[in-house]
Amino acid sequence: MIAFPGRRARSVEGSGPALIGPDEWRRSRIKWGVGGAQLLLLVGLIVVGLGPLVWLAKSAITPTNDTITYPMALFPHGAAWSNLREAWTNVQVGRYFWNTVELAIGSWFVQVFVATTAGFALSVLRPKYARVITALLLTTLFVPAVVLLVPLYVEIVHPPLIHHSFIDSYWAVWLPAGASAFNVVLVARFFDNLPREIFEAARIDGAGPFRLFWSVVLPMSRPILGVVSVFAVLASWKDFLWPLLVLTNPDEQPLSVRLPQIQAQTSLGVFLAALFIASLVPIIGFLIFQRSFLRGTGLGGAIKG
Amino acid sequence: MAAIEFQDVAKVYPDGTRAVDSLDLQIREDEFMVFVGPSGCGKTTALRMVAGLEEISEGTITIGGRVVNEVQSKDRDVAMVFQNYALYPHMTVAQNLAFGLKLRKIDKSEVRRRVAAAATTLGLEDYLERKPSALSGGQRQRVAMGRAIVREPHAYLMDEPLSNLDAQLRVQMRAEIQRLQRELGVTTIYVTHDQTEAMTMGDRIAVMRGGTLQQVDAPEQVYRRPLNRFVAGFIGSPAMNMVNARLTRVDGDLTVSFGEHSLVIDDAVLAVRPALRAHEGGEVVLGIRPEDLEDAAFTAAAPGRTLTIVCTLREALGSEVLVHFVVEDESSAFIARVNQLTAARVGEPLQLVVDTTRLHFFEPASGLAIYGDVT
Repeated sequence: MIAFPGRRARSVEGSGPALIGPDEWRRSRIKWGVGGAQLLLLVGLIVVGLGPLVWLAKSAITPTNDTITYPMALFPHGAAWSNLREAWTNVQVGRYFWNTVELAIGSWFVQVFVATTAGFALSVLRPKYARVITALLLTTLFVPAVVLLVPLYVEIVHPPLIHHSFIDSYWAVWLPAGASAFNVVLVARFFDNLPREIFEAARIDGAGPFRLFWSVVLPMSRPILGVVSVFAVLASWKDFLWPLLVLTNPDEQPLSVRLPQIQAQTSLGVFLAALFIASLVPIIGFLIFQRSFLRGTGLGGAIKG
Repeated sequence: MAAIEFQDVAKVYPDGTRAVDSLDLQIREDEFMVFVGPSGCGKTTALRMVAGLEEISEGTITIGGRVVNEVQSKDRDVAMVFQNYALYPHMTVAQNLAFGLKLRKIDKSEVRRRVAAAATTLGLEDYLERKPSALSGGQRQRVAMGRAIVREPHAYLMDEPLSNLDAQLRVQMRAEIQRLQRELGVTTIYVTHDQTEAMTMGDRIAVMRGGTLQQVDAPEQVYRRPLNRFVAGFIGSPAMNMVNARLTRVDGDLTVSFGEHSLVIDDAVLAVRPALRAHEGGEVVLGIRPEDLEDAAFTAAAPGRTLTIVCTLREALGSEVLVHFVVEDESSAFIARVNQLTAARVGEPLQLVVDTTRLHFFEPASGLAIYGDVT
């Protein structure tokens, strides 16, 4: 939901101390001046934030000639819905789209699995060497990702023990996604702040480590799972370099890798339609999950004090 | 229902702190034992060792004849009620109650029966489908109790379960927990720093300080016959008044004198404390409970049994009045609990009658109470 700053400020009026007191609101200069500034700010934010997206959406259903000749005009010669269909079928955006979805789901699962289990081990089970491992994990945060590209690539080509190259398999994208120290540290810090007494209550109730993890810790961790999920899916959706390196077969590549390559063979209108389809999922995903995940009300009533 | 036994139990932390030291204690089957003491006295640590939440550094703990030092919490068959309730926030009340039973693979119909029974006992029938966040403090506390009850364990372990409730609810729940414990007849260890709870609830109370057990006895006994200055000062509210005094013989009567005051020691006191005679001519610590002092207007005074004092503060509690005064200097502030109709006024003199049959005496050096058997 978009908050309207103007309304919020007005609703505070008279109900308590505010930046601008009720008496001051009655003065017309302040009333119109502040109101106007708020309106300008709101319009500015909408134009900057939503403008490009709206333009992309409009251009996705506008004939190429119109987009080139009148980039800001609103459908001077009618809409071209065929752009979307053509992008989906002829340019095979549909296939790349599902590839991206598949990659994102796999990466998401691996990341959430590694982050929660590792976080649980470090924060809840707390073996004696947990501090050492946490310290080592933290140090990996200081290594730039680019430095790791070559060793990671070598490892994917010649994985230890398995001796079977992962190149051109989705595992080549999924498995390295799990190696995120940031996620582990994030989740471990969240678990650190969960009330210990609940874990102790569960242990006395008869829960072993697995049951504690599955039935108590995970359900209480929805807020952080939401955060990790959003990060994981977005990162996977827009990742370009790594999939380009390890997925050489065009039929398996995701949108981020394919889009720049199909640009040369496609008309602008169809290409913009393809871009629009590609950006739809992150936007819809964010709109759906921001409310349910980021509220962070998972702990109400658990403990007192 | 099982007896619990501490044998020479100690908890030593890596930095060498001995949170609990040489704890020897037998808790009988079905007994309501209260651990009481100030913060940091080791009472909660002792309880957590029984629960299996703290490792036992030295000694052994036995539950129902079985040494449990190496037994995991879940296999000790005890249920614990936490100070902050520790309910599972994502589960409904019914699920909270049933969780422990499900993990023990108890038949579904039996789970339903026990949850319903516990809900009835605790008056939670209307709240079974609610989440803890939709309950009041008192209701959450009941759910926490219910979670212990449904398990039908060998022992209940309660860690200050009432300290987060408001005063009125606390009195109500205090009675309820006692009633439940009597009905269910389950061995219970109850940890509290509140001596009122300790006095009213326990079959016996164990007073702890600095990790060591000071005294274990029935509440009245601990109140009447404290073994040392600490127990005497800790149990009873307001705390026992204490002052350094001299024992002398005046006109053939053994007399205790402090500041400008002196009191004749009754034969009844000497009968209970024969060892007191040995301190004649020496220093002792005299203890007088506030409730053993009364305004002379309301009780018969006898020579050698009164104190004439100047009231420094008057606190009217409705049913009684607390009169503050000093007997020697500023360090010897006394409190008397006197009749609500007292005419005591701040800055005015007042005559108080002392129940000299109930005087307490302690050795100044060791702080141990002076009786016949303990010298």
